[in-house]
Amino acid sequence: MTRAMRRPVAAATGALLLAATTAACGGGGGGDSEGDGTLSVWIMQGTNPDAEDFFADVSTAFEEETGATLDVEFVEWGDAHDRFVTSIAGGTTPDVAETGTTWTPEFADAGALAPLDEYVDAAGVSDDLVEGLVDAGTYDEQLYGMPWYAGVRSLVYNTELFEQAGVEPPTTWAEIEDAAAALKKEFPDKIAVAVPGDAEFTVYPWVWGAGGEVATLDGDTWTSGLDSPEAQEGIGFWTGLATEGGYSSAGATTWRETDVLDSFAAGDVGMAVMGSWTPGAIVEANADMEGKFAAVPIPGQDGGIAPSVLGGSHLSVFETADDKDLAWTFVEMMTTGEFAQQWAEQSGYFPGQVSLLDETLESTDPLVAPFAEQFVDGGASVPAAPTYGSVQAKATTSTMMQSILSGDSDVAGASTAAAEEMTGLLNGSE
Amino acid sequence: MRPWLLLAPALAVLAVLLLWPLVRVFLFSLQDYGLREITTGEPNWIGLENFREILATPELWTVVLPNTVGFAVLSVVGTVAFGTAVAVLLASLGTFWRTVTSSAIMAAWAMPAVTGTYVWVWIFDADRGVFNDVLMSLGLLDDPTNWFTNRWTFYAIVLLNVIHHGFPFVAVTVLAGLLGVPKEMLEAAEMDGAGSFRRFFSIVVPQLRQVFAVVIILSTIWDFKVFAQVYLMPGGAGSNRSVLNLGVWSYVESFGQNRYGFGSAIAVLLTVLLLVITAVYVRTVLAEEER
Repeated sequence: MTRAMRRPVAAATGALLLAATTAACGGGGGGDSEGDGTLSVWIMQGTNPDAEDFFADVSTAFEEETGATLDVEFVEWGDAHDRFVTSIAGGTTPDVAETGTTWTPEFADAGALAPLDEYVDAAGVSDDLVEGLVDAGTYDEQLYGMPWYAGVRSLVYNTELFEQAGVEPPTTWAEIEDAAAALKKEFPDKIAVAVPGDAEFTVYPWVWGAGGEVATLDGDTWTSGLDSPEAQEGIGFWTGLATEGGYSSAGATTWRETDVLDSFAAGDVGMAVMGSWTPGAIVEANADMEGKFAAVPIPGQDGGIAPSVLGGSHLSVFETADDKDLAWTFVEMMTTGEFAQQWAEQSGYFPGQVSLLDETLESTDPLVAPFAEQFVDGGASVPAAPTYGSVQAKATTSTMMQSILSGDSDVAGASTAAAEEMTGLLNGSE
Repeated sequence: MRPWLLLAPALAVLAVLLLWPLVRVFLFSLQDYGLREITTGEPNWIGLENFREILATPELWTVVLPNTVGFAVLSVVGTVAFGTAVAVLLASLGTFWRTVTSSAIMAAWAMPAVTGTYVWVWIFDADRGVFNDVLMSLGLLDDPTNWFTNRWTFYAIVLLNVIHHGFPFVAVTVLAGLLGVPKEMLEAAEMDGAGSFRRFFSIVVPQLRQVFAVVIILSTIWDFKVFAQVYLMPGGAGSNRSVLNLGVWSYVESFGQNRYGFGSAIAVLLTVLLLVITAVYVRTVLAEEER
């Protein structure tokens, strides 16, 4: 867009928006199923490369079982939140939609979602769902998001660099530090461990691993635990790898997770906290990395597994759905049994149903088994508050990390400020 | 009556496209308007509370406004000065070289802000950027430096980006004005012994007052509203609080948190501020004109 063009374009966009709104009003909620035997569904684009074929199969099965037709629309992740908000405003939400785990409480709080507990109980799967995803989908003690699929972050390491430096994959924090020191000695120009400043989900495992909490709910009030001694110890260890050990890099202070992935794929990083969905992307970015990296669950301070955030999606039923039983039939079909398994296999994520994971857990693939272990034994959720989006928008945790890594602030000061801000935002008082 | 009748269609379109949204924004600014209000459709009037909250935010006065105003001043001066210099250069070139040069600067203009920003980010990247590489191979720098964590170096990069993106518009506009300056006046001045600087500042600049008014006002408005060029920089999306400007701050505080009323109030204040700046500037230009 050229500079001189900006104003006319803005005006044109306004006109388009206006036209779109008018059209939406005139349409009278075309997305609704008005007893005509159609179920409208929004699914995020890009999770499963074969999504079209997958949903063709689902449609056939769904029609056989219920006689209703399925109308699936694919939505870009980037636009999705705005589209949900506008459609909630206009009452044109779909009957069922894939909702990112952090959005579910937000939309539930806005009154847009239907509670699912009765259906889940009736289907007899309440005890068979992955806990971290249930926590993330629960708002006000009711389940609004049915666990569908998710990934998890673990410690991914470069096996080639590890072998040459003569170190074993770490199982405690002390071993992480020793491994980093050995890597730095052997490869002074590489990044022994990437400590990114703009990637909040790589921070929480260390908070939890030291026995701290990100935030806890007591009655109606959230309290952030980032300033507790345990949390500070965890944050101090993680940032200390960069500030005291010098095992990270100056650039990493402003890195996002995508930057970590780029550098890891280039073979420049010894170890980093990365998602179970990244191995494919690493090999795609650099085919030489194939077979040269593996994962271990993130160690707790003195061993064991530190909890790590599950990133994934729920399927949610919207209040605008006329036939909620029909909607649930679809949700159940998608999130349990055969189709859930198939979706997980095709997309490279884990299903939200625990019994489906048994097989995965027995895998010996160094890029599957450790993630699966982390997923089942060390999966956690960020605070399931409708206001958590505000904490993310304000980049509270990244601000803390960046100020520590750049040396502007110490762990105690930065974590106290972050805890205060997070508590205020979570309680919606700021 | 006749002129109004002729203007009516245009005015009606403007009212629908510009005035009504403005009115809506103003109405939103008086409410605590979030996702819940959107869902229920019920207004939630809180009077001037949003405005009070904005003005009572210490961050606004210590970080956001100084960054915004300081940056706008520097980038307007930089853009206009550099653009004018390029225009003078273009005016003195022959047809062939003028075409070549203006095509080159058009490329900078045509580059989308997002793409341009990523190019600058890449140049100054700490680990793989060209800039650090050159400094280190010249021995001026021992270890890679992250230029994005410091407020001043961060904005120096934004300044480069915005001037690079904004100067072609100024250059082309000023060039059009330059070509309209009567040759006779310049020749007469030369005969009277005026040097090239004297000729430029005493004849060309006064002739171009209207042109400068336009480019300065437009640049001021644009540079006040800089968003993508800051938001997309490492740390610019809110995790480095010392580099927040008005655009990013209002986005993070309002739309990022579904506080549409609060965001509208910021938009109203920004509109008023820009109107005041424009009015003052237009008045000074007109006053000089009359003198």
